[in-house]
Amino acid sequence: MTDENRPPAASRRNFIRAAGASAAAVTFGAVSLSAKAADQLKFDAEYDIVVCGGGGGGLPCALFSRWLGNSVAILEKAGSVGGTAAKAAFWYWVPNNEPMRRAGISDPKADYLRYVARLSRPEQYDPSLPKLGLSDWEYEMCEAIYDSASPAAELLANKGALPYRHEGAVPDYWAELPEDKAPRGRVLFPKDGLPSMSDGGRVAIRTMSAAARRDGIDIRTGYRVQKVLVDAAGAVIGVEALTEEGTVFRARAKKAVVFATGGFTHDPELRKNFLHGAVYGGCAAPTNEGDFVRISSALNVQLRNMNYSWMAPISLDKALAKDGSLSGIFTPTGDSMVYVNKYGRRVVNEKLAYNEVCATFSQWDGAKGEYPNLALISIWDQQAQDHCASDDYGSLIVPPGSNDRHVLRSNTLPELAGGIRERLAKYRSAVGGAELSDDFLHNLDASIKRFNGFAKTGTDGDFHRGERIVEKLFNGPIRKKADQKNETMYPISAKGPYYAALIVAGNLDTKGGPKTNSHGQVLDVRDAPIKGLYGVGNCVASASARAYWAGGGTLGPIIAFAYRAANAAHAEPTSHT
Amino acid sequence: MNRIRNASTVLAAVLALASGAGHAQDAQDAVALGKKLTTNNCAVCHTFGKGEPNGQGPNLFGIFGRPLASEPGFKYSAGMKAAAPGKVWDDKLLDAWLTDTETVAPGNAMTYFEGDEARRRKIIAYLRTLH
Repeated sequence: MTDENRPPAASRRNFIRAAGASAAAVTFGAVSLSAKAADQLKFDAEYDIVVCGGGGGGLPCALFSRWLGNSVAILEKAGSVGGTAAKAAFWYWVPNNEPMRRAGISDPKADYLRYVARLSRPEQYDPSLPKLGLSDWEYEMCEAIYDSASPAAELLANKGALPYRHEGAVPDYWAELPEDKAPRGRVLFPKDGLPSMSDGGRVAIRTMSAAARRDGIDIRTGYRVQKVLVDAAGAVIGVEALTEEGTVFRARAKKAVVFATGGFTHDPELRKNFLHGAVYGGCAAPTNEGDFVRISSALNVQLRNMNYSWMAPISLDKALAKDGSLSGIFTPTGDSMVYVNKYGRRVVNEKLAYNEVCATFSQWDGAKGEYPNLALISIWDQQAQDHCASDDYGSLIVPPGSNDRHVLRSNTLPELAGGIRERLAKYRSAVGGAELSDDFLHNLDASIKRFNGFAKTGTDGDFHRGERIVEKLFNGPIRKKADQKNETMYPISAKGPYYAALIVAGNLDTKGGPKTNSHGQVLDVRDAPIKGLYGVGNCVASASARAYWAGGGTLGPIIAFAYRAANAAHAEPTSHT
Repeated sequence: MNRIRNASTVLAAVLALASGAGHAQDAQDAVALGKKLTTNNCAVCHTFGKGEPNGQGPNLFGIFGRPLASEPGFKYSAGMKAAAPGKVWDDKLLDAWLTDTETVAPGNAMTYFEGDEARRRKIIAYLRTLH
């Protein structure tokens, strides 16, 4: 019904109802219906499969489901499809993919499993054991990625929903590990993305959503799913969503409901209670507020890996301002650049992959009773500003004219320190009152002198900056100098101006949630699938635990599980009306 | 949920009686809903206030009557620039754009679409107020 058909009073009523409903918008959960109530319940629409969420998990899952002949709806909470994936570079990591096989690049399953097991559960890893020290569940989930990511990627490409190009030169993030027998070749990228590979998300969401519309998937944006409807036998038979207009929309799912609603990056309460250390948000879609954690809490599910997330440093200024342009700092740009803590000391290899550098923020000083690295400070000179600026991959060093709200600039280091002090004071309630130490400047001088010595010889004696393959991948632009021995380091000038930015821990998104089996079926406390309820992507538990195996280690597995969930959901018997 | 909805319906009836200025109020409501829809649908990438910085997409202040791809300082896609000559944002073009951007500027970077005509109209009505 369009507004024209509606008498004015009705549209007004609708609006008031919206105001009332928004107060009730926090009601998440499940509604258990008696057999009689289930029979009498009126549905606004009926589908074989209802997919909640239209991002990097939901769109492919809806497509796979549709291509098997099902009627499919996507109910997306945000005003637009795309979710976190729309903002992502959208590399997808596909072990033993088709272009690798065509090119004769060997990627045996046994070695892949050793690589992922070694990184996901380093504390349990034992290559002599049949499952390498992983639990049965972890092993099954990791096998599923190897088995299904490539068929899923091929089907998406063949149907014109996600044509890709093979980025054969891109290394895994741990390419040097002896377990990594296929260190390059596993990364696919949307075909029409930029050469810089930074805009894949927009391309992928465009091509997948165009295919979804072409193939008759009912896409409803601004539909916030809040409840699952459960029949007397405990099977999920549909969902209830709140629309942007404030009305309730009830969808019946004859076969299955698939959740792909993202993690809890933007729910401070869940972050604080489940994640390790202080995490200030991240580049997940703003709608990733842990809806499925809350909805599934009513269903006897098993939450797993709630303590892990896909991590990346973020700008403190942008995170606190809820700046829409916030990105993870994937390229720690700048050769004449260091990170120091509030004591003016270098504490980490600045060029570590984004997920790995984040362990530093949550380091605890048990004697002082503080997080000494809660906020780190990136400092660079004019040379880095002139030659290392970039608008891509969350670079802190940005070209003139770009959003630079996070950048402090001063002619001398003492002035710069003054600016940093002011910024920290402004944010004191967000950083637990952290301030620069009295000897900050003295230590910073010493840190820069020491770093400059390393830069001259090309060898970082403290943190081995630039020695690993992945560190060169994300170094960002530089102007190679004749006397430069290590492309990731160059002495910081003795003369200003200098620049600084505050950085803290953030997420791409979280990776904990209800445990599913490798077919995406949400499991109850007895490890039995809850009939009709599926989950894929960051709203459910990822068996990767602490690991970020490679670029696209998020989306490759998500596409694999979207494929498996669609196939399993398709095979469910159709419930009678 | 039902209880809350019923309560709001009653509240709506009471307010409607009390206000006695139905149509003016309805127009205001439509703008308010348009603003809510526009914020929910567009604010992830766009800003709306005068002089606010561009986000993933350009600032939309004054979009009505402005030529395509003309916001200073925004880096438009090749697809957008190629489609721009001779086009000005008006009701019809915005409606086509929000329905399927690819029909207006093939290869542009915006992933958004809205299949619901009533919602598009409300969003466009709100965009018209930004000047």
